[in-house]
Amino acid sequence: MTSIDEFRARARAWLEQNAKPFDEAAGHDGEGTSVPLEESKRFQKALWEAGFAGITWPKEYGGQGLGAEELIAFNQEAADFELPTGPFVIGLGMPGPTILELGTEEQKRRHLPPMLRGEEIWCQLFSEPSAGSDVASLQTTATRTETGWVVNGQKVWTSGAQYSDFGAILARTDPTVPKHKGITMFIVDMHHPGVTVRPLVVATGHAPFNEVFFDNVEVPADAVIGEVDKGWDAAVVMLRNERVAIGAGGRARTNALGYDSLLEAARTRGLESDPAIRRRLALLYARESALTAYGRVLHEETTAGIQIGARGSAAKLAGAELALWAADLAQDILGSDLALGSADLDRVVAAVVGAPGGAVAGGTNEIQRNIVGERVLGLPKDPGVDRNTPFNQLKLSR
Amino acid sequence: MSLIFTDDQKSLAQTVKRFVADRTPLPKVREVIGGDRSYDPEVWAGLAGTLGLAGLTIPEEYGGAGATHADLSAALRELGAGLVPSPLLACVLAAGTLVALDDEEVNRKLLPRLAEGHVVGTLAVSEPGNRQWIPARPATSAVRSGGGFALSGTKVAVLNGAEAELLLVQAAGPEGTGVYLVERPADGLTVAKDDGVDPTRGTATVTFDGTAARLVAGDAAAALDHVADLANLAIASEQSGAMGACLAMTTEFAKIRYTFGQPIGAYQGVKHKLADMYNLWALSDAALREATRAADEEPAKLGAAAAAARALTSQGYLASAKNTMLLHGGIGFTWEHDAHFFYKNAIAGNVLAGDADYQLDRLADKLGI
Repeated sequence: MTSIDEFRARARAWLEQNAKPFDEAAGHDGEGTSVPLEESKRFQKALWEAGFAGITWPKEYGGQGLGAEELIAFNQEAADFELPTGPFVIGLGMPGPTILELGTEEQKRRHLPPMLRGEEIWCQLFSEPSAGSDVASLQTTATRTETGWVVNGQKVWTSGAQYSDFGAILARTDPTVPKHKGITMFIVDMHHPGVTVRPLVVATGHAPFNEVFFDNVEVPADAVIGEVDKGWDAAVVMLRNERVAIGAGGRARTNALGYDSLLEAARTRGLESDPAIRRRLALLYARESALTAYGRVLHEETTAGIQIGARGSAAKLAGAELALWAADLAQDILGSDLALGSADLDRVVAAVVGAPGGAVAGGTNEIQRNIVGERVLGLPKDPGVDRNTPFNQLKLSR
Repeated sequence: MSLIFTDDQKSLAQTVKRFVADRTPLPKVREVIGGDRSYDPEVWAGLAGTLGLAGLTIPEEYGGAGATHADLSAALRELGAGLVPSPLLACVLAAGTLVALDDEEVNRKLLPRLAEGHVVGTLAVSEPGNRQWIPARPATSAVRSGGGFALSGTKVAVLNGAEAELLLVQAAGPEGTGVYLVERPADGLTVAKDDGVDPTRGTATVTFDGTAARLVAGDAAAALDHVADLANLAIASEQSGAMGACLAMTTEFAKIRYTFGQPIGAYQGVKHKLADMYNLWALSDAALREATRAADEEPAKLGAAAAAARALTSQGYLASAKNTMLLHGGIGFTWEHDAHFFYKNAIAGNVLAGDADYQLDRLADKLGI
């Protein structure tokens, strides 16, 4: 047995002992909040103790110091189980890797181990009511004080803010320079007075996101991630990680719009032998497999030291387009069952209604196309008029 | 085995790419397809002999290199990118059929010749009026005659049918459907070259009228099913390369063509189409890598993976080649520009060895839907 096979066997054995097998029939809201937070924290701690948290992170910051092969092996085994790790996905997927790349030694030692051990939960505070696709036009401010900074403003679409201990926030630190050049990224304590979190109800009727208000929230000088006024560079690092995290999903059995789920829905209705539906199911399988393979290619290139650059955006775009396409197929398979609703269809209905959300969250499909066009293909930037104009002279939605 | 290229595969791809640039660039391809032959024999000699592509995946015991499907795929991508007319696809399928049938005597005699590229072989399966690439019950018949068989019937869309000296013909014989070998010259054999939409790919209609043939021993149904996978891998490889070429050509044009004071690639109307072309290429290419990986190390998954890859590359290439013409504007619609050659190649490639519905039905079969 190779060391990967051994690792895989060890992961499988641990999961069988400690995690619930995936239950197709059970309801899933995809947010991982259906289990009590304390249980999630206990599970994450056990996962870390067993050596399966932070698989590719360095040992000195609580990681396992292993490679992408081990990570892939673990994720493949974990697909058969329900892991209540939802609250940690953001921190370990975005702020964590960003701190690893840009943080100070002190930030890494202070924040990364508790993140891995499930002791501290993180959120990401980028989007604002008037700064979505154009995040760099954000209006939240951080003003210098004698000891650090004071933050004022509003963030939106913040997953997990209601139970987060820390957030990675972008704030404007210099309004007199062009928009990308006057932003700084900070670590903000979500328990600080002046931080108010309100749930945001979305189209599906759930409240997976929040609005977060900052009213004179003090932040120490050593909470800057990267450099002052270089927050856009840090944001690019974090968004790159986000897109890899979102896009690499591929053929998960938990996906209500996935091949397994829609094949089952077609079989239940005796439609699997309908030639047109059968071909579309086959195409769904092909597209899903391609997305999985593309994620694998990106992982392998990363392991081989090849920069994947902005190609995470291509994966994210592909995943969102596939979900929208599969939502159409789901509607054609389910017909009036979908519109009228029934208990066994709750997951599929939620996924159909939720599919447009995936094409907006983490950057709309249009923004991803811009990124693929400009940073993967090297096309010239949009003829934007605001790139060199000082922020305080721009027209903004307010 | 990994999905990304090994150093050897990169080097093979580089060698083929250089050969294409030096010996058969697109202006040269234009000259060849304006002539009488489907391909340039000197180029074919270079591809088959010097580069060793004809024998790449033929087992070493029969004079080949015994290389992997992923190796062949790396080479075919470059030939697809250059729209290089050659009988390589026909030969790969002919050799693949023989290897799968495993008639020791025939293999000993023919595979070394195919491996050297000294002879062109092809597979004749499709029939008029039947949309199945490989008919379940061929109308072409084989009857006993002398010590061998006599074939009667018509086969269409035979790759390089006009040039092939070895024809492997699917026919209904006294003991069921089999694969029969016809060696040219032969009496009772009529070959009519097609005037197809894609001038870079030579096909022909072949008619047999009591043509002498030999039955190749082996499980014909299983062998041809496997060859359908090989065809999917090979065509998907060429198409992936061609899609990459369309993308590169159009991206380059979008950077240097100015309208309204900007390169057209700065506008989202153009940029977003190119981003979609990138994704079509990147994802179908990844599916192809998974399919060649399956061919080399997990044969049980080959059928589904190859059909999935092929369904995606054919569709994606057609969309990309069409957008290549559209994004080049009027220039892209001229004969002088290369865009129309890619578009025609995509149109023909979309139905070659099974159209889109055929591939999706095949994929559904392999998935057990």
